[in-house]
Amino acid sequence: MIVSINWLRQFVEINLAPRELAHRLTMAGLEVEGVSDRYAWLDSVKAARVLSVAPHPAGENLTICTLDMGSGQPCTVVCGAPNVRQGMLSALALPGTVLPGGRTVAQSAIRGVESFGMLCSAAELGTGPDKSGIVELEKGAPGEKIAHLLNLADTVFEIGVTPNRPDCLSFLGVAREAAAVCGTRLVRPQIILPKGEGTIEEITSVAIEAPEHCPRYVARVIRNITVGPSPFWLQDHLLSVGLRPINNIVDVTNFVMMETGQPLHAFDFDLLEEGRIVVRTAQEGEKFTTLDGKEKILSSSNLMICDGKKPVALAGVMGGENSEINPNTKTVLIESACFSPMSIRKTAKSLGYHTDASHRFERGVDPTGCSAAAARAAQLMLEVAGGVLVEGEIDANPVPWEPKEVCLSVKRANAVLGTDLSCGQMQGLLASVELETKTLDSDTLSVTPPGFRVDISIPEDLVEEIARLFGYDNIPVTAPKLPMEVPPPRPAMSFRKKLRNIMVNLGFFEAVNYSFVAADTPARLGLSEDDPRQATLAVANPLSEDQAVMRTSLLPGLLAATGRNVNLQNRSVRLFELGKVFFARANEPLPSEQFMLAAILSGERNPLSWHEKAAPCDFYDIKGAAQALFEALKIKAVDFVRPAPGQADTLLPGHCAAMICQNKLLGILGQIRPEVCTNFDLKQRAFLLEMDVEALRAVTPDTVAFSPPPRYPFVLRDITLVLDKAVPSAEILEKVRQMKHPWVESVWVFDVYEGKPIEKGKKSLSFRITYRADDKTLTDGEVNTLHDNIGKTLLNAFDATLP
Amino acid sequence: MDIDKLKSDASGQIGAAKDLDELNQAAVKWLGRKGALSEFMRRIPELEPDLRREAGQKLNALKKELEALLEEARERISGSAQARDEGLDISLPGRPVAAGSIHPINQVMEEICDIFVQMGFDVVEGPEVELDWYNFEALNFPPDHPARDMQDTFFISGDVVLRTHTSSLQIRTMENTPPPVKVIAPGKVYRCDSDVTHTPMFHQVEGLLVGDGISFADLKGALTLFVQKMYGPNTPIRLRPSFFPFTEPSAEVDIGCVICRGSGCRVCSGTGWLEVLGSGMVHPNVFKNVGYDSSLITGFAFGLGVERIAMLKYGVDDLRRFFENDLRFLSQF
Ligand SMILES: [Zn+2]
Repeated sequence: MIVSINWLRQFVEINLAPRELAHRLTMAGLEVEGVSDRYAWLDSVKAARVLSVAPHPAGENLTICTLDMGSGQPCTVVCGAPNVRQGMLSALALPGTVLPGGRTVAQSAIRGVESFGMLCSAAELGTGPDKSGIVELEKGAPGEKIAHLLNLADTVFEIGVTPNRPDCLSFLGVAREAAAVCGTRLVRPQIILPKGEGTIEEITSVAIEAPEHCPRYVARVIRNITVGPSPFWLQDHLLSVGLRPINNIVDVTNFVMMETGQPLHAFDFDLLEEGRIVVRTAQEGEKFTTLDGKEKILSSSNLMICDGKKPVALAGVMGGENSEINPNTKTVLIESACFSPMSIRKTAKSLGYHTDASHRFERGVDPTGCSAAAARAAQLMLEVAGGVLVEGEIDANPVPWEPKEVCLSVKRANAVLGTDLSCGQMQGLLASVELETKTLDSDTLSVTPPGFRVDISIPEDLVEEIARLFGYDNIPVTAPKLPMEVPPPRPAMSFRKKLRNIMVNLGFFEAVNYSFVAADTPARLGLSEDDPRQATLAVANPLSEDQAVMRTSLLPGLLAATGRNVNLQNRSVRLFELGKVFFARANEPLPSEQFMLAAILSGERNPLSWHEKAAPCDFYDIKGAAQALFEALKIKAVDFVRPAPGQADTLLPGHCAAMICQNKLLGILGQIRPEVCTNFDLKQRAFLLEMDVEALRAVTPDTVAFSPPPRYPFVLRDITLVLDKAVPSAEILEKVRQMKHPWVESVWVFDVYEGKPIEKGKKSLSFRITYRADDKTLTDGEVNTLHDNIGKTLLNAFDATLP
Repeated sequence: MDIDKLKSDASGQIGAAKDLDELNQAAVKWLGRKGALSEFMRRIPELEPDLRREAGQKLNALKKELEALLEEARERISGSAQARDEGLDISLPGRPVAAGSIHPINQVMEEICDIFVQMGFDVVEGPEVELDWYNFEALNFPPDHPARDMQDTFFISGDVVLRTHTSSLQIRTMENTPPPVKVIAPGKVYRCDSDVTHTPMFHQVEGLLVGDGISFADLKGALTLFVQKMYGPNTPIRLRPSFFPFTEPSAEVDIGCVICRGSGCRVCSGTGWLEVLGSGMVHPNVFKNVGYDSSLITGFAFGLGVERIAMLKYGVDDLRRFFENDLRFLSQF
């Protein structure tokens, strides 16, 4: 809502500076989002004395004028005005001035003569109607600002009116609030209508066939009007709040809407067939053209204003082309109605309209204000368009408004606010915005909200009024008195926090990606048709194609982020994300939401440095990260196995693994297939780790049982086997473990070698075994015997040889 | 065999050495395998038997003494002759230990939650894809009400939406818990809007405190405590009347600009205040919708945008940076 302070002053005495008024209104709930100078463009328009006038060589009634603009340095302008003459004091717009019509004054040559600015008419300056010649000032000195000389000053507020306060979508409503913060009174405009001719019932009628959508419809008729441009004051008022003047009749309807908040419509009465109004819902499929020239196909939920035969307006939204005010209009019918907010909102939304009228009707207009607004419009139309009023009004009111009393307990209000206000103080605060109170008993106030306050229906609405008018700043600050309870543990949340910290300690940066992805993402990930991650949930109104469905994997976001980073020359990428994925479910309105953890590695494991050569990361880096994660979580015995078909379609076969613990799949890891990388604009190798957070949590021990460190020293022995290349190292380790010798504490691979002098198809694997007894120090002899036995067993079991 | 002379000559030369060369020469001359001390040792058998023992002891003691002197002199010389000739280049970078970081949004969200947890709030979570009932209707946003325009909503279907706020957790929590209730709900939320100041996904922390005798003054108290813990003890807060369907009275909460401390700057548009959260007293219709008796209890709710707070905290100029996951951005936090 744009509010001109000058306009506002017509209804209320304002005893505060504009900035202070803005602040007080904001603190009372009418947020002033912008404060601007109505006449900002006049800043660079100065008084200038015409020193000389000479004809322009190009003729065409142009003159070359020398001006004194108060700077001591005369300047030259080219002027085409008939009234320019030596000695007159006029208005010079300096170069750079943007005039109200949108034109920028430039310093330029006009027909070969340099012109320093432009002498302007009142119409050009937007300060008056006169366009016949340049402004002639009666007083002032060259160089003085024109706004000052013409006494033009106005401040414009842009107010963010909350949806509950449609009363403040009008000058009278804002003035009521201003009166409250200024401590002054609201003064309504006087409406005096002349005695009309005839009676309105003789010439028209209003039939409301859909009273649930239209509780009230007031009509007035004026004959013999003359349609034309509005007088300056009317145009100026509309322009001050950003409305475009159209013609005197339409301008009056807009003016009264701004003044009262009641949207009005004016019909050319002679275009209404049978000369009457019928309010009904549209027929399904009926066509209608609104006055902006758009043809719409109607449905039975659209409320229409019709004449005896056809629709003439989309009720509460926009009038029709077929009945709009035109230069030949002689008789006008003024509509001032009350429509159901829901009905207007549905119609406006479904047909794609948002008008000043629908905005107000959706929020609720004063059901008691229709008649006054119609009269006010009639008064102004008679003033600006002439004509003869038809006596009386039609007031079709099938659903009369019933005032509803709201009772407020003073004690309760104080308890909710934490205040100690007296009954009288509350009454005073409510009275300041015209909410009259009655005292029912020592604790109970009764308020019957007036029609313009559609937002007040329960006691809390009054508590809010009291709070905002008392001032939130004046409400005390206290500590809530509640027993301090220890919140229950939230293990799932704590676990995710722990996972994040572990990933950070492993050198990964946390990414946060949007939860929506492009619809073809599962295909781009290389997932098969029957993969569960194909079951995406579509967003009905996405902002763009690449945010069309909810993600079923964290991978697309990480891949795209990695691609972006590489393109930004961040070539070594270590990112992880912990977030939800969403799976559509049959027969369930809501999808299943599942927390996943995914990490991506790409580029160099370590950069080139003085102590190390640069090396690209590989499968064992991502596996190392997974193992470190398990170790940090104290998860033991995770098997890394070849993924089952369909488990890791995104990963390169042979370079990936599934992680299994306690017979549960925790997740997958490995190299991402190159074509998948390409699909996400990633041009280098990347390695993925993806785990189901809840599966991981299920195998994470809650506590750790301490076991004392061993008391006796260990002995190390190595063994190297040459064996078939295809034998996984883990099988040999497993074989050693299976022997279950109490002295074997651990075994691990410390060297893998293929190539000369090892025979082709074979590899050499070196293991180190730690021997330790828990009851004595082992002797070399004891260890050697055991180590030889293990060696023999392995040689036999794997058909291996010693090197 | 004048041991005393040997001692004075040797210690004099060692003490006078000006550089390592001179010192090494002295060391060879007096302590070397063919040096004077060794020569004396070799000559011990030539002495009278009863003097040998004493001479041996004396020479051994002298050897230790001279070695100590030599070490002392070496330290003196190497110290003055610039240690870098002999020590490590300590300016070389150390071998890197990998360290990542938590996303700034999650860091800030964690910080906010920690403050409220210290104040005794429980943390709750819920679905991001939500029923209209929890996201709107139960929160007193009737169907076809203009208040719904305040939040541009992503729809899955007619009555399933991407939650536009974590206020949905108010309903889910109260539905399952009798009062008193003291919870915060952090999480992702979605709105159909994208420009410099809006991303289609962002993060919120919603708070709800319901009990016997909870007042608007308590709301001011709780928020003051939060703001002062988050932004420092002298940060002022200001509540302005506003409108949210699920609270009444409702308030926008401003804090004194943390950039200019109230004098006015670009970040606060010269007002000295920054809007950081919305709040209010729980609307009786919300209580009714979860089966609470609003004549017995009251409560307040508040919601804050994590991105807004993170932008202020770190001076981030463009909201969208949080979701680009540029490592040059992430590694700064
Ligand atoms: Zn500031």
